[in-house]
Amino acid sequence: MRQIGRGSGREAEAELCRRMAPRIRLYGLRHLRDEHASDDLTQQVLITTLEALRAGRLREPEKLASFVLGTCRMTVLNLRRGAQRKERLLEQFGADLPISVQPTIPHLDHDHLARCVQNLKERERTVVVMTFYDEQTGADVASFLGVSEANVRVIRHRAIHQLRKCMGVAE
Amino acid sequence: MSGEDTRQANCRNPIDAAVLADYWLGVLAEAEEATVEEHLIGCDWCGDRLREVMALAGGLRNLAREGSLRMVVSETFLDRAREEGLRVRQYSPPAGGGVQCTVTAEDDLVIGRLTANLRGAKRIDLSICDGQGVEQLRLPDIPVDSGAGSVIYQESITFLKAAPTSTMKIRLVTFDEAGGERLLGEYTFNHTRSLPGPGAW
Repeated sequence: MRQIGRGSGREAEAELCRRMAPRIRLYGLRHLRDEHASDDLTQQVLITTLEALRAGRLREPEKLASFVLGTCRMTVLNLRRGAQRKERLLEQFGADLPISVQPTIPHLDHDHLARCVQNLKERERTVVVMTFYDEQTGADVASFLGVSEANVRVIRHRAIHQLRKCMGVAE
Repeated sequence: MSGEDTRQANCRNPIDAAVLADYWLGVLAEAEEATVEEHLIGCDWCGDRLREVMALAGGLRNLAREGSLRMVVSETFLDRAREEGLRVRQYSPPAGGGVQCTVTAEDDLVIGRLTANLRGAKRIDLSICDGQGVEQLRLPDIPVDSGAGSVIYQESITFLKAAPTSTMKIRLVTFDEAGGERLLGEYTFNHTRSLPGPGAW
Protein backbone atom coordinates (compact mmCIF):
# COMPACT_ATOMS: atom_id res chain seq x y z
CA MET A 1 0.00 0.00 0.00
CA ARG A 2 2.84 2.35 0.82
CA GLN A 3 4.48 1.61 -2.53
CA ILE A 4 1.23 2.42 -4.31
CA GLY A 5 0.85 5.59 -2.25
CA ARG A 6 4.35 6.70 -3.30
CA GLY A 7 3.40 6.13 -6.93
CA SER A 8 6.12 3.50 -7.41
CA GLY A 9 4.14 0.34 -6.95
CA ARG A 10 3.19 -1.12 -10.29
CA GLU A 11 3.84 -4.64 -8.98
CA ALA A 12 2.09 -3.86 -5.70
CA GLU A 13 -0.95 -2.69 -7.63
CA ALA A 14 -0.95 -5.88 -9.66
CA GLU A 15 -0.74 -7.94 -6.47
CA LEU A 16 -3.60 -5.99 -4.88
CA CYS A 17 -5.76 -6.57 -7.95
CA ARG A 18 -4.82 -10.27 -8.07
CA ARG A 19 -5.89 -10.72 -4.45
CA MET A 20 -8.99 -8.57 -4.32
CA ALA A 21 -10.52 -9.09 -7.78
CA PRO A 22 -11.91 -12.62 -7.09
CA ARG A 23 -13.40 -11.48 -3.79
CA ILE A 24 -15.05 -8.42 -5.35
CA ARG A 25 -16.36 -10.54 -8.20
CA LEU A 26 -17.98 -12.97 -5.74
CA TYR A 27 -19.70 -10.03 -4.07
CA GLY A 28 -20.91 -8.94 -7.49
CA LEU A 29 -22.20 -12.37 -8.44
CA ARG A 30 -24.15 -12.56 -5.21
CA HIS A 31 -25.76 -9.15 -5.55
CA LEU A 32 -25.96 -8.61 -9.30
CA ARG A 33 -26.48 -12.23 -10.44
CA ASP A 34 -24.70 -11.46 -13.69
CA GLU A 35 -21.13 -12.28 -14.74
CA HIS A 36 -20.61 -9.23 -16.95
CA ALA A 37 -22.05 -6.86 -14.35
CA SER A 38 -19.78 -8.52 -11.76
CA ASP A 39 -16.77 -7.94 -13.99
CA ASP A 40 -17.78 -4.30 -14.34
CA LEU A 41 -18.17 -4.02 -10.58
CA THR A 42 -14.74 -5.57 -10.04
CA GLN A 43 -13.15 -3.10 -12.41
CA GLN A 44 -14.88 -0.11 -10.87
CA VAL A 45 -14.08 -1.09 -7.28
CA LEU A 46 -10.42 -1.76 -8.11
CA ILE A 47 -10.14 1.57 -9.89
CA THR A 48 -11.71 3.41 -6.94
CA THR A 49 -9.38 1.60 -4.53
CA LEU A 50 -6.26 2.36 -6.57
CA GLU A 51 -7.42 5.94 -6.94
CA ALA A 52 -7.69 6.24 -3.15
CA LEU A 53 -4.30 4.60 -2.60
CA ARG A 54 -2.52 6.72 -5.18
CA ALA A 55 -4.04 9.86 -3.71
CA GLY A 56 -2.92 8.82 -0.22
CA ARG A 57 -6.47 8.70 1.12
CA LEU A 58 -6.04 5.11 2.26
CA ARG A 59 -2.85 4.54 4.27
CA GLU A 60 -3.63 1.89 6.89
CA PRO A 61 -3.43 -1.70 5.58
CA GLU A 62 -5.96 -3.01 8.09
CA LYS A 63 -8.59 -0.70 6.62
CA LEU A 64 -8.16 -1.93 3.05
CA ALA A 65 -10.71 -4.79 3.27
CA SER A 66 -13.32 -2.50 4.85
CA PHE A 67 -12.69 0.12 2.18
CA VAL A 68 -13.09 -2.43 -0.61
CA LEU A 69 -16.26 -3.88 0.90
CA GLY A 70 -17.73 -0.43 1.46
CA THR A 71 -16.90 0.49 -2.13
CA CYS A 72 -18.54 -2.73 -3.34
CA ARG A 73 -21.72 -1.84 -1.48
CA MET A 74 -21.78 1.75 -2.74
CA THR A 75 -21.01 0.72 -6.30
CA VAL A 76 -23.77 -1.88 -6.37
CA LEU A 77 -26.19 0.74 -5.05
CA ASN A 78 -25.02 3.14 -7.74
CA LEU A 79 -25.32 0.48 -10.42
CA ARG A 80 -28.85 -0.21 -9.30
CA ARG A 81 -29.66 3.50 -9.38
CA GLY A 82 -28.24 3.66 -12.85
CA ALA A 83 -25.57 6.17 -11.88
CA GLN A 84 -22.51 5.45 -13.99
CA ARG A 85 -19.10 6.73 -13.05
CA LYS A 86 -17.67 3.95 -15.17
CA GLU A 87 -16.99 5.91 -18.33
CA ARG A 88 -15.03 8.66 -16.55
CA LEU A 89 -13.08 6.27 -14.32
CA LEU A 90 -12.21 3.92 -17.15
CA GLU A 91 -10.98 6.85 -19.19
CA GLN A 92 -8.78 7.97 -16.31
CA PHE A 93 -7.49 4.61 -15.02
CA GLY A 94 -8.64 1.83 -17.34
CA ALA A 95 -5.44 1.51 -19.37
CA ASP A 96 -3.36 1.12 -16.20
CA LEU A 97 -5.56 -1.50 -14.55
CA PRO A 98 -3.60 -4.73 -14.16
CA ILE A 99 -5.34 -7.72 -15.68
CA SER A 100 -6.33 -10.27 -13.05
CA VAL A 101 -7.08 -13.94 -13.49
CA GLN A 102 -10.47 -14.88 -12.05
CA PRO A 103 -11.04 -18.27 -10.46
CA THR A 104 -13.79 -20.13 -12.20
CA ILE A 105 -16.78 -21.85 -10.67
CA PRO A 106 -15.75 -25.49 -10.12
CA HIS A 107 -17.19 -28.15 -12.40
CA LEU A 108 -19.47 -30.75 -10.80
CA ASP A 109 -19.99 -34.24 -12.20
CA HIS A 110 -23.62 -33.99 -13.35
CA ASP A 111 -24.46 -37.71 -13.10
CA HIS A 112 -22.81 -38.00 -9.70
CA LEU A 113 -24.83 -35.02 -8.45
CA ALA A 114 -28.03 -36.57 -9.82
CA ARG A 115 -27.35 -39.77 -7.85
CA CYS A 116 -26.57 -37.76 -4.70
CA VAL A 117 -29.80 -35.75 -5.04
CA GLN A 118 -31.84 -38.88 -5.68
CA ASN A 119 -30.38 -40.41 -2.50
CA LEU A 120 -31.66 -37.57 -0.33
CA LYS A 121 -34.80 -38.05 1.70
CA GLU A 122 -37.93 -36.90 -0.11
CA ARG A 123 -38.38 -33.72 1.90
CA GLU A 124 -34.72 -32.81 1.61
CA ARG A 125 -34.81 -33.30 -2.17
CA THR A 126 -37.94 -31.20 -2.53
CA VAL A 127 -36.53 -28.44 -0.33
CA VAL A 128 -33.20 -28.12 -2.17
CA VAL A 129 -34.72 -28.35 -5.64
CA MET A 130 -37.51 -25.89 -4.87
CA THR A 131 -35.08 -23.56 -3.17
CA PHE A 132 -32.31 -23.54 -5.76
CA TYR A 133 -34.44 -23.89 -8.88
CA ASP A 134 -37.16 -21.44 -7.98
CA GLU A 135 -35.05 -19.46 -5.53
CA GLN A 136 -38.22 -19.68 -3.46
CA THR A 137 -38.28 -18.12 -0.04
CA GLY A 138 -38.29 -20.24 3.09
CA ALA A 139 -41.89 -19.11 3.62
CA ASP A 140 -43.03 -20.53 0.24
CA VAL A 141 -41.33 -23.85 0.84
CA ALA A 142 -42.57 -23.98 4.44
CA SER A 143 -46.11 -23.39 3.25
CA PHE A 144 -45.87 -26.23 0.71
CA LEU A 145 -44.39 -28.65 3.23
CA GLY A 146 -46.63 -27.59 6.09
CA VAL A 147 -43.67 -26.94 8.39
CA SER A 148 -42.08 -23.84 9.90
CA GLU A 149 -39.47 -21.70 8.11
CA ALA A 150 -36.98 -22.67 10.81
CA ASN A 151 -37.64 -26.31 10.00
CA VAL A 152 -37.09 -25.65 6.28
CA ARG A 153 -33.72 -24.09 7.14
CA VAL A 154 -32.75 -27.15 9.16
CA ILE A 155 -33.79 -29.48 6.30
CA ARG A 156 -31.94 -27.31 3.74
CA HIS A 157 -28.75 -27.20 5.82
CA ARG A 158 -28.81 -30.96 6.37
CA ALA A 159 -29.34 -31.58 2.65
CA ILE A 160 -26.48 -29.26 1.65
CA HIS A 161 -24.09 -30.99 4.04
CA GLN A 162 -25.15 -34.40 2.70
CA LEU A 163 -24.78 -33.32 -0.90
CA ARG A 164 -21.30 -31.89 -0.27
CA LYS A 165 -20.30 -35.07 1.52
CA CYS A 166 -21.69 -37.22 -1.29
CA MET A 167 -19.88 -35.06 -3.87
CA GLY A 168 -16.63 -35.38 -1.91
CA VAL A 169 -16.21 -31.66 -1.18
CA ALA A 170 -17.21 -31.61 2.50
CA GLU A 171 -14.60 -30.07 4.77
CA MET B 1 2.03 -26.45 1.69
CA SER B 2 -0.21 -26.18 -1.38
CA GLY B 3 -2.03 -22.96 -2.22
CA GLU B 4 -5.28 -24.50 -1.06
CA ASP B 5 -3.76 -25.62 2.25
CA THR B 6 -2.35 -22.13 2.79
CA ARG B 7 -5.76 -20.61 2.15
CA GLN B 8 -7.35 -23.03 4.61
CA ALA B 9 -4.67 -22.37 7.23
CA ASN B 10 -5.20 -18.62 6.87
CA CYS B 11 -8.90 -18.94 7.71
CA ARG B 12 -9.37 -18.92 11.47
CA ASN B 13 -13.15 -19.03 11.49
CA PRO B 14 -14.52 -20.81 8.41
CA ILE B 15 -18.15 -20.15 7.56
CA ASP B 16 -20.38 -23.22 7.46
CA ALA B 17 -21.15 -24.26 3.87
CA ALA B 18 -24.89 -24.22 4.59
CA VAL B 19 -24.61 -20.62 5.79
CA LEU B 20 -22.71 -19.79 2.59
CA ALA B 21 -25.64 -21.35 0.70
CA ASP B 22 -28.06 -19.15 2.66
CA TYR B 23 -25.88 -16.16 1.78
CA TRP B 24 -25.99 -17.10 -1.91
CA LEU B 25 -29.77 -17.49 -1.70
CA GLY B 26 -30.09 -14.11 0.01
CA VAL B 27 -32.00 -15.48 2.99
CA LEU B 28 -29.69 -14.35 5.79
CA ALA B 29 -30.72 -11.59 8.16
CA GLU B 30 -29.05 -8.25 7.37
CA ALA B 31 -26.59 -8.39 10.27
CA GLU B 32 -25.57 -11.97 9.52
CA GLU B 33 -25.13 -11.16 5.83
CA ALA B 34 -22.88 -8.23 6.73
CA THR B 35 -20.75 -10.49 8.95
CA VAL B 36 -20.42 -13.07 6.16
CA GLU B 37 -19.39 -10.38 3.65
CA GLU B 38 -16.79 -8.91 5.99
CA HIS B 39 -15.28 -12.38 6.27
CA LEU B 40 -15.46 -13.16 2.54
CA ILE B 41 -13.73 -9.94 1.50
CA GLY B 42 -10.66 -11.14 3.39
CA CYS B 43 -10.82 -14.93 3.04
CA ASP B 44 -10.02 -16.83 -0.15
CA TRP B 45 -10.68 -20.21 1.49
CA CYS B 46 -14.32 -19.38 2.22
CA GLY B 47 -14.53 -17.71 -1.21
CA ASP B 48 -13.48 -21.02 -2.77
CA ARG B 49 -16.14 -22.82 -0.74
CA LEU B 50 -18.76 -20.27 -1.78
CA ARG B 51 -17.85 -21.05 -5.41
CA GLU B 52 -18.44 -24.75 -4.64
CA VAL B 53 -21.87 -23.85 -3.22
CA MET B 54 -22.61 -21.79 -6.35
CA ALA B 55 -21.65 -24.77 -8.50
CA LEU B 56 -23.96 -26.97 -6.44
CA ALA B 57 -26.79 -24.45 -6.84
CA GLY B 58 -26.22 -24.38 -10.60
CA GLY B 59 -26.14 -28.17 -10.78
CA LEU B 60 -29.41 -28.43 -8.86
CA ARG B 61 -31.06 -25.91 -11.19
CA ASN B 62 -29.89 -27.89 -14.21
CA LEU B 63 -31.17 -31.17 -12.74
CA ALA B 64 -34.55 -29.58 -12.03
CA ARG B 65 -34.77 -28.21 -15.59
CA GLU B 66 -33.90 -31.59 -17.07
CA GLY B 67 -36.81 -33.28 -15.32
CA SER B 68 -34.68 -36.32 -14.60
CA LEU B 69 -35.41 -36.46 -10.87
CA ARG B 70 -38.21 -38.59 -9.43
CA MET B 71 -39.81 -36.33 -6.90
CA VAL B 72 -42.88 -34.58 -5.61
CA VAL B 73 -43.11 -30.98 -6.80
CA SER B 74 -45.32 -27.99 -6.10
CA GLU B 75 -47.68 -26.02 -8.30
CA THR B 76 -45.27 -23.09 -8.02
CA PHE B 77 -42.46 -25.26 -9.36
CA LEU B 78 -44.56 -26.09 -12.44
CA ASP B 79 -45.50 -22.44 -12.94
CA ARG B 80 -41.82 -21.50 -12.91
CA ALA B 81 -40.98 -24.29 -15.35
CA ARG B 82 -43.64 -23.06 -17.79
CA GLU B 83 -42.40 -19.49 -17.41
CA GLU B 84 -38.96 -20.73 -18.38
CA GLY B 85 -40.45 -22.21 -21.53
CA LEU B 86 -40.23 -25.84 -20.46
CA ARG B 87 -42.87 -28.13 -21.94
CA VAL B 88 -44.78 -29.90 -19.20
CA ARG B 89 -46.76 -33.05 -20.08
CA GLN B 90 -49.36 -33.91 -17.45
CA TYR B 91 -51.67 -36.85 -16.79
CA SER B 92 -54.39 -36.98 -14.16
CA PRO B 93 -55.75 -40.51 -13.84
CA PRO B 94 -58.61 -40.91 -11.37
CA ALA B 95 -57.92 -42.84 -8.17
CA GLY B 96 -58.49 -46.50 -8.97
CA GLY B 97 -58.34 -45.79 -12.70
CA GLY B 98 -55.81 -45.50 -15.46
CA VAL B 99 -54.66 -43.34 -18.32
CA GLN B 100 -52.97 -43.87 -21.69
CA CYS B 101 -49.77 -41.91 -21.79
CA THR B 102 -46.58 -41.28 -23.72
CA VAL B 103 -43.64 -38.92 -23.90
CA THR B 104 -42.24 -37.13 -26.95
CA ALA B 105 -38.84 -35.69 -27.75
CA GLU B 106 -40.20 -32.17 -27.20
CA ASP B 107 -41.33 -32.81 -23.60
CA ASP B 108 -39.22 -31.51 -20.73
CA LEU B 109 -41.16 -32.60 -17.65
CA VAL B 110 -43.71 -35.38 -17.13
CA ILE B 111 -46.17 -34.99 -14.28
CA GLY B 112 -48.76 -37.29 -12.75
CA ARG B 113 -51.47 -35.58 -10.73
CA LEU B 114 -52.61 -38.07 -8.13
CA THR B 115 -55.91 -37.02 -6.58
CA ALA B 116 -56.67 -38.40 -3.14
CA ASN B 117 -58.14 -37.44 0.20
CA LEU B 118 -54.96 -36.60 2.11
CA ARG B 119 -56.60 -35.06 5.16
CA GLY B 120 -55.33 -36.37 8.46
CA ALA B 121 -52.55 -38.44 6.88
CA LYS B 122 -49.43 -37.94 8.99
CA ARG B 123 -47.15 -39.81 6.61
CA ILE B 124 -47.68 -40.69 2.97
CA ASP B 125 -45.48 -42.99 0.90
CA LEU B 126 -45.47 -43.08 -2.89
CA SER B 127 -44.99 -46.60 -4.18
CA ILE B 128 -43.98 -47.22 -7.80
CA CYS B 129 -45.01 -50.67 -9.04
CA ASP B 130 -44.81 -52.62 -12.27
CA GLY B 131 -47.87 -53.64 -14.25
CA GLN B 132 -48.47 -56.63 -11.94
CA GLY B 133 -48.48 -54.38 -8.88
CA VAL B 134 -45.09 -55.48 -7.59
CA GLU B 135 -43.32 -52.58 -5.90
CA GLN B 136 -40.14 -51.46 -7.68
CA LEU B 137 -39.36 -48.29 -5.74
CA ARG B 138 -40.78 -46.42 -2.76
CA LEU B 139 -40.51 -42.72 -1.95
CA PRO B 140 -41.15 -42.68 1.80
CA ASP B 141 -42.75 -39.78 3.66
CA ILE B 142 -43.29 -37.55 0.65
CA PRO B 143 -43.96 -33.84 1.18
CA VAL B 144 -47.62 -33.07 0.59
CA ASP B 145 -49.91 -30.13 0.97
CA SER B 146 -52.77 -31.86 2.78
CA GLY B 147 -55.14 -29.07 1.78
CA ALA B 148 -54.46 -29.49 -1.93
CA GLY B 149 -56.16 -32.88 -2.31
CA SER B 150 -53.57 -34.17 -4.74
CA VAL B 151 -49.91 -35.06 -5.09
CA ILE B 152 -47.94 -33.71 -8.05
CA TYR B 153 -45.44 -36.42 -8.91
CA GLN B 154 -42.65 -35.85 -11.42
CA GLU B 155 -41.45 -39.04 -13.10
CA SER B 156 -37.94 -39.03 -14.55
CA ILE B 157 -38.23 -38.01 -18.20
CA THR B 158 -34.86 -39.63 -18.87
CA PHE B 159 -36.33 -42.92 -17.69
CA LEU B 160 -39.55 -42.49 -19.66
CA LYS B 161 -37.81 -41.54 -22.90
CA ALA B 162 -35.85 -44.79 -22.67
CA ALA B 163 -38.76 -46.93 -21.46
CA PRO B 164 -40.50 -49.45 -23.74
CA THR B 165 -44.28 -49.67 -23.95
CA SER B 166 -45.26 -50.81 -20.45
CA THR B 167 -47.60 -50.29 -17.51
CA MET B 168 -46.69 -48.54 -14.29
CA LYS B 169 -48.89 -48.42 -11.21
CA ILE B 170 -48.40 -45.74 -8.59
CA ARG B 171 -49.90 -46.06 -5.14
CA LEU B 172 -50.28 -43.50 -2.41
CA VAL B 173 -50.36 -45.17 0.99
CA THR B 174 -50.64 -43.91 4.53
CA PHE B 175 -50.36 -45.67 7.89
CA ASP B 176 -52.80 -46.24 10.72
CA GLU B 177 -51.99 -45.95 14.43
CA ALA B 178 -50.78 -49.56 14.55
CA GLY B 179 -48.42 -48.98 11.61
CA GLY B 180 -50.55 -50.85 9.09
CA GLU B 181 -50.65 -49.56 5.52
CA ARG B 182 -53.80 -48.00 4.15
CA LEU B 183 -54.23 -47.35 0.43
CA LEU B 184 -55.19 -43.78 -0.44
CA GLY B 185 -55.25 -44.34 -4.19
CA GLU B 186 -53.85 -46.41 -7.03
CA TYR B 187 -53.17 -44.92 -10.45
CA THR B 188 -52.31 -46.86 -13.60
CA PHE B 189 -50.17 -45.34 -16.34
CA ASN B 190 -50.26 -47.28 -19.61
CA HIS B 191 -47.18 -45.95 -21.32
CA THR B 192 -46.88 -46.27 -25.09
CA ARG B 193 -43.46 -45.65 -26.48
CA SER B 194 -43.59 -43.04 -29.25
CA LEU B 195 -39.86 -42.42 -29.61
CA PRO B 196 -37.69 -44.63 -31.82
CA GLY B 197 -35.72 -47.22 -29.90
CA PRO B 198 -35.82 -50.73 -28.47
CA GLY B 199 -39.21 -52.24 -27.64
CA ALA B 200 -38.01 -53.74 -24.37
CA TRP B 201 -35.40 -53.12 -21.67
